[in-house]
Amino acid sequence: MAGKEFKQRIHRALNNDSLRGALGRFADSYIVSREQVYAGRDFAALRERIAAIKSDAAGHYEELADRFTRAVEARGGKVFRAGDAAAAREYIYQVAKEHGVTDIVKSKSFASEEIHLNEFLQERGINPYETDLAEWILQLMPGERPSHMVMPAIHLPKEEVARVFSRYLGEPVEPDIKNMVRIARRELRKKFLTAGMGISGANIAVAETGTIVLCTNEGNARLTTTVPPVHVAIVGYEKLVPSIKDIVPILEALPRSGTAQPITSYVTMITGPVPAWRGEGEGIKELHVVLLDNGRTRMAADPVFKEALQCIRCASCTNVCPVFQLVSGQVYGYIYNGGIGSVLTAFFNSLEDAVDPQSLCIGCRRCAEVCPAKINIPDLVLKLRERVVTKQGLSSGYRIALHGIVAKPKLMHTLLRAASRLQGPVTHGQPLIRHLPLFFSNLTSGRSLPAIAKEPLRDRVKRLEARTGRPRLKAAFYSGCVIDFAYPEIGEAVYKVLGREGVQVTFPQGQACCGAPAVYAGDRETAVKLAKQNITALEEARADVVVTACPTCAVALKKDFPELLAGEPAWEERARALAKKVKDFTELVHELTGGQGKKVKQAKKSGSRAVKVTYHDSCHFKRHLGLDQVARQVLKEQPGVELVEMQESDRCCGFGGSYSIKYPEISAPILERKLKNITESGAEVVAADCPGCVLQLRGGLDQKGSSIKVKHTAEVLAALENLQGGGNSK
Amino acid sequence: MKFQELITSFTSQAEAMGARVIPAARPGEIGPKLVEVLRPLGSKIALVDSPLVKTAGVEAALAGAGFNVDKDGPEFARQADTGIVEFEYGIAETGTLAMDATDLKTRLAAMLPLTCVALLPAERVRANLTEVIDAYLERGPWPGYFTLVTGPSRTADIERSLTIGVHGPERLFIILVGENGGDSRGR
Repeated sequence: MAGKEFKQRIHRALNNDSLRGALGRFADSYIVSREQVYAGRDFAALRERIAAIKSDAAGHYEELADRFTRAVEARGGKVFRAGDAAAAREYIYQVAKEHGVTDIVKSKSFASEEIHLNEFLQERGINPYETDLAEWILQLMPGERPSHMVMPAIHLPKEEVARVFSRYLGEPVEPDIKNMVRIARRELRKKFLTAGMGISGANIAVAETGTIVLCTNEGNARLTTTVPPVHVAIVGYEKLVPSIKDIVPILEALPRSGTAQPITSYVTMITGPVPAWRGEGEGIKELHVVLLDNGRTRMAADPVFKEALQCIRCASCTNVCPVFQLVSGQVYGYIYNGGIGSVLTAFFNSLEDAVDPQSLCIGCRRCAEVCPAKINIPDLVLKLRERVVTKQGLSSGYRIALHGIVAKPKLMHTLLRAASRLQGPVTHGQPLIRHLPLFFSNLTSGRSLPAIAKEPLRDRVKRLEARTGRPRLKAAFYSGCVIDFAYPEIGEAVYKVLGREGVQVTFPQGQACCGAPAVYAGDRETAVKLAKQNITALEEARADVVVTACPTCAVALKKDFPELLAGEPAWEERARALAKKVKDFTELVHELTGGQGKKVKQAKKSGSRAVKVTYHDSCHFKRHLGLDQVARQVLKEQPGVELVEMQESDRCCGFGGSYSIKYPEISAPILERKLKNITESGAEVVAADCPGCVLQLRGGLDQKGSSIKVKHTAEVLAALENLQGGGNSK
Repeated sequence: MKFQELITSFTSQAEAMGARVIPAARPGEIGPKLVEVLRPLGSKIALVDSPLVKTAGVEAALAGAGFNVDKDGPEFARQADTGIVEFEYGIAETGTLAMDATDLKTRLAAMLPLTCVALLPAERVRANLTEVIDAYLERGPWPGYFTLVTGPSRTADIERSLTIGVHGPERLFIILVGENGGDSRGR
C-alpha cells in the first residue's frame, strides 16, 4: 500500500481546487491544440526517427561522450564527467569559487534540480537565481513544489503570484499578469547583468560538433549563456545524439508535444566558448559542460529500462494522463513525474523512491499513444512494479489475495461460490450491491458493485453448449473471472451470437484467472503459474480459435503469456501457439459477418424505434487490440441501433482493476467525468467491450440512479429487445 | 517551393508567431521604414554593422531623423530601446530567423532591448531547418553561437495566459528586403 505521507499528498492535491482547475483546463485544451500543431505531419514516422536516434545513442553513450568531449575541447571548452550528483555539485561549486562568483543566473534545468544544486550552493554562500518565470516564482515560495514539468507554476493563481511579488519587493503588487511579467523582467535583468556565472541545462547535446541545444520561449537561456563571463551547462548523458542533423526531428517534436507550439521562440545552439564581456573588455567566455551520469549508464545497460532514455522531456505523457490531471506533479514527489518520471526516479534516485509514484499509473496507455519518442511507458511501469515486488515482496493483502487465492483456481472458485451465497441478505435480492466487497476487496463510494452470480458461467455452459451439425468453426470460450462470476449473462450472449453465426462454443473447465491482476501488481510468480494452467486447459479444448470477450484477458493470452514464459523451452512455443489462436469476441463477429451485419440480411422491423447507443472505448481494447473502429462497425450493422458518439470516448473509466480499490479517491473523479460524457451523449445504452468497464460504468450509473444501461457489445448483439426497458440490473 | 511561396509562408508563419513583417523593396527603403516604425518606441538604438546595414545607409537615416545610434562600448545595447541586426536566413515553415550570433554585439542587440528589428534579405528565406543547417555545414565549422528566433519573447507561466516580452524583446519587426519582398502577402 502507498505510504501514508504519499496518500496525504494525494489528498491535498485532490482538494486543491485551483490546482485541479488549472491542470484540467490545460489538459483539455492541450489535446485539441496538439492535434492542430501536428496536422498534416506524419507523427508515426517522426517518432520512429526519434526513437531510433535516441535508442541508438543509448547504446553508445561512452563513445558519444568521448566524441562530444573532444569536440568541446577542440573549441576550448571543458567537459567534466560527473558519475553522480555529488561529483557534479562539487565541480560546479569549485568553478564558482575559483571565479569568486557570488550570484548565479540559471535557466531551467531538470538536471540541476536532480542534483539539488541550489541548496548546495546556497549553503556555501552562493546565490543561484532561477530566471525562468515559473521557476523564479517557485524559488520565492520556499516549500512550494512544481506541479508540472514544463509549466511548474501552473497551479498558482495570479493573486498568489502577486502576493509573492509583493513580499519580494516590499511594496503592493496588483494581480495583473502583464505587469507582473514586467516586474520579473526588471528584477531578473539586474541579475543577468551582474551575475558572475550562468548555469543552463540542455535539451540536446550533439557529439559530432560538441553543441548544446537549448529551447526557451522567454529568452532566459540566451541571456544566461551570453551575459555572464562563465557558462556551466549540466547535461545528462541521455541528451547526447550523434550528429547535428539529429536535432531536426527532436526540434520538430519537442515544442509540438510539449506546449503544442510549432517551435519555441528561441532555439540556441552553443558550440565551445564564445565572446563575452569580461570585466573591462570583450574576451572569450569560459565554458564548462558537466556530463551527468547519476544512474544513466546503469539504465542504458539495462535491457528493459534503456528505452526510457529515449525521453525528450516534453511531458506530453503527463498532459494526457487522467491521473496526473487530478494529482499533478506535486504528488509524484521527485523532479521527474508521471509514469516516465517514476521510471527515471527508480534509476536517478532509487527503486524505493519510485515505489509510490509508479503505483499511480492506471494503465490506460494514453501516454504510449502520444509519446514522441515512442516509449512504451505503461509497460515500463509494470516492469518497474515487478522489480519492486521482487525486491520488497508483495504487500500482505496482495500476497494473500494473489498467492493464496487467485493462484489456486479451485479454492478461488469455491470461495466465490460461497460468497455468492453469503452475500444474499446484503443485496436485498438485487443483483447490484452497495458498499460490499468486489471479490475480496473493500468497496468504494460512487460506484455500486455487482453481486457474485448465483450460478457462475462455468456451471451454466452445459445448457448453452448446443451441438450443431457441422460447425463453421470450433471456438473455446475463455471467459475471464468477471464474466464467469459476476456477469455470466455476457457469456450467455457470447454463446448466443456465435451460435447464430454457426460457431460451436465450448468452455474449457480448467481455465483460471488470466493473471492480469498479478501482472498489474508486479507478481510475476503467480502470473507464470496461471499462464501455464490456462495454456494446458485451452490446448485440451482443441479448438480453432480461443475467444474472449475481455480485452485484458486477450492481452494476457496474446502478449503476456509468451513474454512470461520466454526462456522456458517447454512452454514458450505452446504460449506462442495459443497466442495465435486468441481472438476477441467482437473481432470474430466482424470477421464472420464479413463486416456486413444483420442490417443487410434482415430488414429493420417497421415502426420500431432505433435505440441510441454510445460506445465507450476500453483502454486495452483500443490501445492494445486496436479494435475501436471494428466495434463501431459491428454496432452500426446491428438493426435497431443508432450509434451516437460521446465526448472523450477513449478516456479511461477509472476502473483499472484493483486500481479502483487502491486509489478510490482518484478512480472516482475519473469515473465521474466519464459518466458526465455518457449522460451528455443522449444515449439510452452505453456499449463497451470490456467487462471491467461494464462493471465500473454500471456501478457508477446505478449510484446516480440513471436509466442509461450499460451493455457489453455481446449483449447488444445478442438481443436488441433487451436494450429497452429495465434498469442496470443485468 | 517557389520563391514567392517561400516568402508567403515565411511571412504568414512569422506573423502568426507574433512578429511583424515589413517588406522593403530595396535596401534604400530600410531607413525610412525604420524611422517610421521606431519613432514611437524610443530614440536609443543599438545598431550592429553589416554589409546590408552599410549599403542601406541605416545609421545615417536614423541619425538624420534624430535617433541616438549606439554601435559599441561596454554599455552597448544595455539601455537601448531598440536593437537592429541583420539575420542570415529565414525559415518558411515556421517563420523563423536564423543566424550565426557568435559575435557578441549581435547577440546583445538582439536580446537586451524591448524591440528587436531583424533585417533579412528576401532571397535568404529557405523552406525548412534542414536546408538552413545544410547551408551552415557547407560554410565550414559549425558556428559557436547559432540562434533561431521565432516571434517575440513569450511566457504562459502565470495562469497559462500568453504574455509577450519576458526576458527578450517584446516586439520583433522583420524587415524583409529585396526586389521581391513585395507586399506583406509576398505578392
